[in-house]
Amino acid sequence: MLLPFVIITDLRKMELAIELILFGILMGLIFAFISLGLALIFGVMNIVNFAHGEFLMVGMYVGLLTSTYLRLDPFLSLPIAAAMGFLLGIASYRLLIKDILRGPMVAQLFGTFGLMLFLRYLAMFIFGPDIRTVSSGILVGKSVSLGWVALDLSKVVAAGLCLGLFVVVYWIINRTKLGRALRATSLDAEAARYMGIDTEKMNALAWGIGGATVGIAGGLLAHFYYITPTVGMVFILIAFATVALGGFGSISGTFIAGLIIGLIQVIGGQYLSELKFTFIYLTYFLTVVFRPRGLFGW
Amino acid sequence: MKNDMLLEVRNLVKEFGGVVANADISLELDRGEIVGLIGPNGAGKTTLFNCIAGYYRPTSGKVLFEGRDITGWPAHRAARAGIARTFQSMKIMPNLTVEENVMIGAFSRTGDRRIARGEAQEILELAHLQQEANLYPTELPIAAQKRIELARALATKPKFLMLDEVAAGLNPLETKEIVQTLQLIKEERNLTLLLTEHVMEFVMTISERVIVMAVGRKISEGAPEEVAREERVIEAYLGERYAKGT
Amino acid sequence: MGRILGDIFSFGDRPVSERIGFIVFILIILAFPWTVKLAYARAVMIKFLLFALFGLGWNLIGGYGGQVDLGQAKNVGFGAYATALMMFHWKIPFWLTVVPGMIFATAESFAVAYPMFRLRGHYFAIATLCVALVWKELFVFWDWTGGARGVEIPIKSTPNFAYMQFGAVGYHYFIFGLFMAQFLFMNWFRKSKLGYELQAVRDNEDAAASLGINVTATKVKTYCITAALGALGGSFITVYYLYIDPDLVMPLDLSILIAMTVMVGGAGSIWGPIIGAAILIPLDMYLGAWLAGGGRYGIDFMIYALIIMIIAAREPKGIWGIVERIKKSR
Repeated sequence: MLLPFVIITDLRKMELAIELILFGILMGLIFAFISLGLALIFGVMNIVNFAHGEFLMVGMYVGLLTSTYLRLDPFLSLPIAAAMGFLLGIASYRLLIKDILRGPMVAQLFGTFGLMLFLRYLAMFIFGPDIRTVSSGILVGKSVSLGWVALDLSKVVAAGLCLGLFVVVYWIINRTKLGRALRATSLDAEAARYMGIDTEKMNALAWGIGGATVGIAGGLLAHFYYITPTVGMVFILIAFATVALGGFGSISGTFIAGLIIGLIQVIGGQYLSELKFTFIYLTYFLTVVFRPRGLFGW
Repeated sequence: MKNDMLLEVRNLVKEFGGVVANADISLELDRGEIVGLIGPNGAGKTTLFNCIAGYYRPTSGKVLFEGRDITGWPAHRAARAGIARTFQSMKIMPNLTVEENVMIGAFSRTGDRRIARGEAQEILELAHLQQEANLYPTELPIAAQKRIELARALATKPKFLMLDEVAAGLNPLETKEIVQTLQLIKEERNLTLLLTEHVMEFVMTISERVIVMAVGRKISEGAPEEVAREERVIEAYLGERYAKGT
Repeated sequence: MGRILGDIFSFGDRPVSERIGFIVFILIILAFPWTVKLAYARAVMIKFLLFALFGLGWNLIGGYGGQVDLGQAKNVGFGAYATALMMFHWKIPFWLTVVPGMIFATAESFAVAYPMFRLRGHYFAIATLCVALVWKELFVFWDWTGGARGVEIPIKSTPNFAYMQFGAVGYHYFIFGLFMAQFLFMNWFRKSKLGYELQAVRDNEDAAASLGINVTATKVKTYCITAALGALGGSFITVYYLYIDPDLVMPLDLSILIAMTVMVGGAGSIWGPIIGAAILIPLDMYLGAWLAGGGRYGIDFMIYALIIMIIAAREPKGIWGIVERIKKSR
């Protein structure tokens, strides 16, 4: 008599599990793509860009502003977000990073910290501290069904795009001449210079590509996440945890780690939602203490 | 039996991944000896230093100091036991004055700043650095920085001093000065010295005995003049052709 | 004994100009409440002294130790909550609540320090950040700490020495007393064996080890001392504001601000924390508040961030580093 009961609850549990896993993978793909820029910059010149989250925030505001003032669909404004991110990255490199690279590690740390604070409070100054959201767009507020699971269309498209672009960047890094120059610079900048590679340009390019990718990510996030000047902080910690878990310096590691972090975030959030970020922080901590190389790093 | 063995290395092996940097090294040092460790680049001399002084943990084998097994002891513990060393790449403390650099060494034997300062000043005199006591090491030439490192190591009142390429980058005059300083220090403080060097003139002059390493192994040992004539040694440095020619 | 007192109070190794400057500074602070009556100005001064106090504590591990710790706010929170909870639930007088706070901060720091100090540089900094964030989330999550609502302490009568309740003038001298105590402690510390060994570790760990210094133990000891001092500052916050919550005493921004302030002023120097706070607090409380009144937030921190970036690029030793460079070129 109890059997149908048991079957139903088991089915519910399985449904929930599948839903969580799907959702975790979606978020994981997005996290992986967000972290890609950080991994790239760190790989090429060994500096952690604490302003990475703020670059993301800029991308989000591009999505918001083009939607609000230009009546442009936030999805169509992604190229603008990419361009803004690219320019922001290159400008950051040329105006600040180039100089602090020569200094002690401590200076590098608080140099990018300064950049982070500057961008955050610039946004605060221009836009105020209020939380905004994007209200309309072809992807906004719609859902798609996969069997019994209802997923945000924007998240699905974002995840898909992130996956695609991740592969594109991976291909650029590993299969093109430019990518080879970048990798050479990351392995030994001096040797690369002797081989005729313009390492200055490579550094700036790393920042540009990093900024562009996270700008696009921001534009995608704007479809479903809240937009405020301080949102960068949330994502930079996710990015740190992802890059650390994957192994600072490994692009493919970032991908796998992103998926893992996405799953941790979603599953953890299901059971202890107030502490869902705690799991991420703990992941970072445990990874760097017990396996500093990460899963795939050197 | 030896009269007073200070350091014994038994069958030391150090591997890094697949690379064998030190393969089955054994050697003995008596108290009061000056021994030179020579060999071409990549022979594993600095690795051996690091294994003795506690920067690497040997893969297998033993290191015995004054009869005690110190294998795998961390660097600071080996230092407290009486092993001092200088480094190939300058490791001075740039944000401390010359005197303060040396005081750090003295602090290993005392907790009192005044005593440490007194010790430091004494050693600075020995090393001809009293004038520069309040300057910063980065303001001084390399030869002076090497003397600072030496003075700092001496401030720990060691029984055994390992010098890693202390004559590198010095001109002949500076090298002579270092030789004199070392011999003076050795006498005054009853030290045992192990030096690794590429500057042949220096190491052959000062050493009573020389150990030769190549490709991770010990290939010869003995008085400097004899070792220099051995075919194996010449082959290690210059290749087979030259060795056969002797 | 006399030697220790001498170490605490003497600044013989600093040039006369600095010693005189510091005495002038002390006199100004002492005379301040009698000459300035404006409530807002008094609040600014207290906040300045508070941040200078935080900076002094951080300067030990971050300046003399060279380990960029971005999680000091957790220690501030431990002290603040210890005082708040003990006062609120059991009416325990202030000075008895300070000790448990400091002990907890020290113990927690000791526990996390050994794994954390296996890390260097960026990894270490991010790890300190993570630990502090985990604690903040826990304090928001837990009910017994008041959760996001925090703890509010109802105190009726003033002045009150058991709970350190005074008028503004009293708080001024209270925080100044804490500041001077920590300043003198730092003066003693930098001349002690631990202080010297810590600086040796900062400058070159391998060399320090070769001189008999247990590098990790040195870092851990200093980190724990910094934690205890941070907790002390946290306890002050509780009795000053009479209300605390995780966003006030344990936020990431506080950790970053404490660290950045010292770095801007000059980490590893005795005047750095004071200089850094002297720039940040007036900037925030005057310029920032004035513009915020007009609905424009953030300019003060934008300016501060610019200063940080310029210092990082040009003179990592901070403003005091610039001063010393100028002095040398004369």
